[in-house]
Amino acid sequence: MAAVDRLAAAQMLYIGQNLADAHAMVPDLTAREIDLPLLEAAFGIFADWHSNASPLVAVMNDMNAYGDLVLDITGVSHLFGSELAMLRTMVLRLRQLGYAADGAVASTIGAAWAASHFAPNRVVAADQTGSLLDGLSVAALRLLPMQIAGLTQMGLKQIGQLRGRDRKGLQARFGASLIMRIDQAYGYLEERMTPRLPIAERYAERKFPDPIGLMDDVLMTTHDLGIQLGIRLESEGLGAQAFHLFLYRVDHKVMTLSVNAGSPTREPGHIARLFANRAERLQGEYDAGFGIDMIRLAASSVSPLEASQLGAFSRQDGTDLGRLYDRMSSRLGMFSVVRSAFVDTHIPERAVRLEPVIARSADNPASMPDPEQERPLRLLPMPEPIGITAEVPDGPPMAMTWRRVSYRFVKAEGPERLNAEWWRSGQRLVLVPPATPQELEELKKLGKTPPYIPNVPLFYTWNAVRDYYVAEDAGGRRFWLFRLGIYGVAPNPTWYLHGFFS
Amino acid sequence: MSGLAKQERLAALRASIANIERRPVLSDPVSTQAHAPDQFIVPAPGLVQEVFADERRNTAALLGFALGQARSLLTPVRRAVIYLQMLAEAQEMGLPYGPGLATFGFDPDALVLIRPANIVELLWAVEEALACGAVAAVIADIAGHPKVLDFTASRRLSLRADAGGTSLFLLRYGAWREASAAQLRWHLVPALSATTQFDARAPGETRWRARLERGVIGDRQNQEWLLEWTENGFHIVDDRERRPAQPVERPSLPGDLFADLADRLSEAG
Repeated sequence: MAAVDRLAAAQMLYIGQNLADAHAMVPDLTAREIDLPLLEAAFGIFADWHSNASPLVAVMNDMNAYGDLVLDITGVSHLFGSELAMLRTMVLRLRQLGYAADGAVASTIGAAWAASHFAPNRVVAADQTGSLLDGLSVAALRLLPMQIAGLTQMGLKQIGQLRGRDRKGLQARFGASLIMRIDQAYGYLEERMTPRLPIAERYAERKFPDPIGLMDDVLMTTHDLGIQLGIRLESEGLGAQAFHLFLYRVDHKVMTLSVNAGSPTREPGHIARLFANRAERLQGEYDAGFGIDMIRLAASSVSPLEASQLGAFSRQDGTDLGRLYDRMSSRLGMFSVVRSAFVDTHIPERAVRLEPVIARSADNPASMPDPEQERPLRLLPMPEPIGITAEVPDGPPMAMTWRRVSYRFVKAEGPERLNAEWWRSGQRLVLVPPATPQELEELKKLGKTPPYIPNVPLFYTWNAVRDYYVAEDAGGRRFWLFRLGIYGVAPNPTWYLHGFFS
Repeated sequence: MSGLAKQERLAALRASIANIERRPVLSDPVSTQAHAPDQFIVPAPGLVQEVFADERRNTAALLGFALGQARSLLTPVRRAVIYLQMLAEAQEMGLPYGPGLATFGFDPDALVLIRPANIVELLWAVEEALACGAVAAVIADIAGHPKVLDFTASRRLSLRADAGGTSLFLLRYGAWREASAAQLRWHLVPALSATTQFDARAPGETRWRARLERGVIGDRQNQEWLLEWTENGFHIVDDRERRPAQPVERPSLPGDLFADLADRLSEAG
C-alpha cells in the first residue's frame, strides 16, 4: 500500500502493508491501483497552479510515490495577511476541491515536511523548530525504512534522542544520509529545491474578483500588465526578449503562452501585439475552463536597454524590421520566419542552415558563399532520383526523365566535382552503440531481444563523390544535376536532380 | 418638397457617394526616367505585379525575374525582401538557396523566407510585410488557385502596397487568370540562354520571354520582350530578325521582289 486516507489510518492500516493483510483486517476495503504517471502529471499541474501563490514551487519526489509540494513563501506570506492565513487558504483551497490535503509552514524544508506529515496544519516559528522536531518520531526525518527500523530497534524513537549522540557513530552505523537529514531538518545544512517553472524576477500580475474567460479580456489585461512591466523594466534600464503569460484557471490549471522578440524591448503595445498574434495561433486550444482568476506577465532573458528618444528625431513609425519579424514569428511560429545562415562546408545542401530571424547567430566570414560558383536559385529539399541518358563515364547529360516528364538537353556544362568528406571515410552512422557480448548475454537471460541496429553501409568517399552538371533543355529551363559516384569505382552510380537555375 | 430643394439634396447625395467611391490614387506606373533603348524599365515601387508561368517547373524563372526587379528596389532604408511560400509547396518546388542568390547577384542576407502553413496566414503575412516601411519587396509564391485570393483580397493588397510604397510580386502558375487588382501582369516563359563566348555547348546568361499582359510600362502595352539577366540588371535582347515581337503592319510585297521570287521559282523548276 502506497497511501492510506484518514478512515483507513483509523482502522490501523499503514503504508507499506500487504494488500492481502489489509483486506483481512478490513474486509470492505476500497483499494485502487496507483497510477504513477497520472499522479505525477496531476502533481505537476498542482505545482504550476500554486505558482499563483508563490513563484518558487517544486515537487519533491524523494520520499513517497506521489510527491510533496514545496513552496518557498519568503516575502510572499504578507500578501495573504500572515503565514497562518496563507497556510489556511492554501489547504482549504485544496480541500474544497475534494482533496485531502495537509500542510505546514516552517523555516526549513525538512522541518516543514516533518510538521506537515506528523503534526500537520501549523506554523512553526523559527525558534520553535528545534523543540518541535525533538518531540517527533524519527520517521519524520525523511529516512529510509531500513534506517527507521534500525533506529527504532535501538530505542531511538524520537528525533531529540539523536541530537546528543555521537555523530560519527551514527554515521558509521546508519549512513551519511541520516546525518544529512538531521542537519537539513534543523537548518544546519542548506537544502535547495528545484522550481518547476523558470523563476521570473520581473513580472506583473493581476487578480480578478470574478473570473474572466474571453481571450479579448485576457489580451486587454496583458496590455495593462505590459505597461506595468514596462515601467519596471524602464526604471532598471532593461529590456527583455522573452515574455511569458501565465493564466491561472479557477480549476487549478495553468496555461502558459510565450513570445520571443528578436531584440530587447519593453514597449507594452508591441508586447501586447505579440501576444495577440500568439493567441490567434491558439484557436481551438484556448480553453478558459470555469474562468481565469489571475494573470501574470513575466519577462525573462533581460539585457540592458538604453532609453531612446521618441518623437522628433526617431525613425518613422513602422520602419522597424525587427518588429515585423517579431510579429510574424509570434503568429506563424519562430521557425517559419527564417534566413539563410551559411555553414563552412562544400556539400551544397549543408552549406545553408535556415535559422530563425529573431534568433540570428553571427555570420562566419569564412563560410560566406562564393558568387563565382555556379549555384542554383532554388534547391530541392532532397535530391530527386532521375533517369538519365549520358555518355559513360563522364559525358554531359543528354536527356533526363524527372517526375515522369522527359527533357532533352541542348546545352550542358560540367562536371564540377564535389568530393565527399574524406575525414569521414570508413565510418558509419551510429545512433545507438551496439550491445557488448556481456550485455547480449544478459538480454538473452531476460528473454529480451537486443535493440535493432540497421546495417548501414560504411561511408566511403568514392561512393559519395558528386559530379555536378548544369543542363539546359530546349525550353530554356536549367537544371542542376549530379551523378553520385564515379563509373568504374562506385558499384552503381546514380543520377539526381538537385536544383533549378533561373 | 420643392423642386429646387430636391435637386440640392440630390447633388449633396451624389457628392457624398462620390466621396465614398473616391479611391486612393494608385501609383503611376509610367516611369519618366530617361533610359537607354536596350535597358528594361523596372516598374515603379508600390505596385502589385502578377507573374505567371505556364507550369510549376518554371518556378525558378519566376523567382529570378522577381528577384531581379526586387534588387533594384533595395535602398538603405528598404533593406529587406520577403519571400513567402507555403510550407508544403517548398517540398515540391524547392526553396531559394543562399549561395544561388549570391551567384544570381542578390545579397542572400537581404532575403527573409517566410513559410506559413496555409494561405490565410500567408496573406496575413503579406499584408504585414507590405505595411512595413523597411521592406523593399514582397514575393509571394502561390502554386494553386486558392479561393481566398480573390479580387477583394488582391484589391486589399494593392491598396496596402500603394500606401506603403512596397512592391508585391505574386508568382502564379497555370493558364487560368483570375480577376485581380494587380497593376501589371506578366506572362513569363524561360528562353534558351545566350551563347557563351568560349563554349558553345555551355548555358549562358539567363533569358526570359516576358509578355506584359496587363498594364502599361513607359508607353508599352501588351508587348513582348526577350530579357537577359546581366550583372547590371535586365537587358533587352533584340531578336526581331529571328522572331518579330509583334505582328508588324507590312506593306504588300513590292513588285520587284515579287518578280525576284518568281525568277527563283523558275530556276528551281
